[in-house]
Amino acid sequence: MSLRAFERRLTAVLEAVLAAGLLGMFLVVVLLVLLRYAFQSGLVGANETATVVFVYLSSLGAAVAVGRQEHIRVDLLSDRLGRRGRIALEACNLGMVAILNAVLAVSSVAWIDATGQTLMPVTQMPRYLLQASVPLGCGLATLYCAIKLVALLRKELAP
Amino acid sequence: MILLLLLSLLALIGIGVPVAYALGVSVLLYVALSDTQLLLMLPLRLLAGFDSYALMSLPLFILMGQVMNSAQITSRLIDFSMLIAGRFKSGLGLVNVLASMLFGGISGSSASDTASIGSVLIPEMERRGYRKEVAAGITVASSTMGMVIPPSIPMVLYAVVAQQSVGKLFLGGVFPGIIVGLFQMALVRMLAHGGSERRNITLAAALRLTARSVPVLLMPVIVVGAVVFGIATATESAALGVLYAVLAGFALTRALTPGSFWQCLRSTALTSSKIMIVIALSQAYIWILALERVPEAIAAFVVDLGLGATGTLLIVNLIVLAAGTVIDVSPAILLLTPVFAPALESLGVSPILFGVLLVSGLAVGACTPPVGTCLNVCAAIADLDIGKIFRGAAPFLGANAATLVVVTLLPEIALWLPERLIP
Repeated sequence: MSLRAFERRLTAVLEAVLAAGLLGMFLVVVLLVLLRYAFQSGLVGANETATVVFVYLSSLGAAVAVGRQEHIRVDLLSDRLGRRGRIALEACNLGMVAILNAVLAVSSVAWIDATGQTLMPVTQMPRYLLQASVPLGCGLATLYCAIKLVALLRKELAP
Repeated sequence: MILLLLLSLLALIGIGVPVAYALGVSVLLYVALSDTQLLLMLPLRLLAGFDSYALMSLPLFILMGQVMNSAQITSRLIDFSMLIAGRFKSGLGLVNVLASMLFGGISGSSASDTASIGSVLIPEMERRGYRKEVAAGITVASSTMGMVIPPSIPMVLYAVVAQQSVGKLFLGGVFPGIIVGLFQMALVRMLAHGGSERRNITLAAALRLTARSVPVLLMPVIVVGAVVFGIATATESAALGVLYAVLAGFALTRALTPGSFWQCLRSTALTSSKIMIVIALSQAYIWILALERVPEAIAAFVVDLGLGATGTLLIVNLIVLAAGTVIDVSPAILLLTPVFAPALESLGVSPILFGVLLVSGLAVGACTPPVGTCLNVCAAIADLDIGKIFRGAAPFLGANAATLVVVTLLPEIALWLPERLIP
């Protein structure tokens, strides 16, 4: 499988997961309101679970947005550069995003190791289930940056 | 060190690093040069930015707007606006502003307002003799009300950052939003010369048209009412708004399909993640600012200036307007709130008033080059250069600037409703 095909497939899978997660989160919140007003009851831990889903949505979605190069940015300089300058600047920007995400992913391991066994207040799930969203999202963002960098360099080196 | 933090952020944003990661890289630089022990705190700060029940309302409000767009409710709003304002002089210009006011009460986003209303009204206005840049300019300028009139996504963001009541902020935006609309309508009457909708309409047809629009017009009442009267939290009311939009799309307009709903979910998840990562990494940046005691220093500086609450607010308005031209709304709220809110609070300015002014000011920034989101959306729809659109919009944005001054001088405009309805 080519790098581009791998990236496309990874993005499609992650986007499907994100859409399903958002749908699930929406349904849980609606269900909680209906239960409260129609049956004067609730679901224990539903809010906490929905928040966990939301955290994963945010971290995975941020990684996908790196792959799709859709993050909020100001394109003032690159518009004024030539082709080679634009590629160099883009490579530099991707490199910085990759380093940041890699550092966050690596440093989160020690943090999860130290604090991950504590339990969440309502569901009593270990916190590492929530904390794992950080290395997962940052790791994926680093991977996307690496793929984009390789594609960029191939483009630059192409005759 | 603090200079390094600020300059590196500006430089990184300037060279095109995404705003979220520019914040993160600046923090990383600071940590690397000051105390590498702080590195262990960064993942914690990142997670703390994501881990918020209140912020769950963001994707749900975005989804509500996307579903309403896919459900093609815009035509009903435009028909209703046409009924009210269409037959006056410069009627289509007035319809554009009125439709934006109504749409602002539904979508909570200026960009979707520009896209939905612009794609219908710009060609129609051009056909009726309006210059294209004026038609596009009115569309862009009037879309600013989407952020001010509730429900408003930037207001939710401010509420979370400043730890204020979402309901109070929603209510705080009602009168300033309406005033912007009225000022813009007056400017349209004075400056925009073009045709109106002279179709004669019978009373029965008018009633039928109104009845057709009622389910759509009820939406902001349900969503905002649920928060204001304590029936639901902001997150729950956003979810109820989505449910209402889905039912309206499937049963009422019949324009929503399972496929388009799935597409809405996908695109909302991505849009909200882009905002969430800015929130998360800005939390780390703000944490460093707090470690360096920057908000306290700015508060002391502002108090020492001796300008009083109104004078300081007027200066802050100018800074917000300037910031809005170079930075997007969400990161601007995240960065400016912790810097200015403590200073203004120490002068006795209500955080609700500051929130309303901040969002109203930044909404103008969304219509100014080079980073104005609404400007870019409109450029794509109208196939017009952003410079020309901005020239067309500038006179109507004067209404927003005038409203900022009026609300600063008469804070009751923003505070009266929240103080009456939410104790």
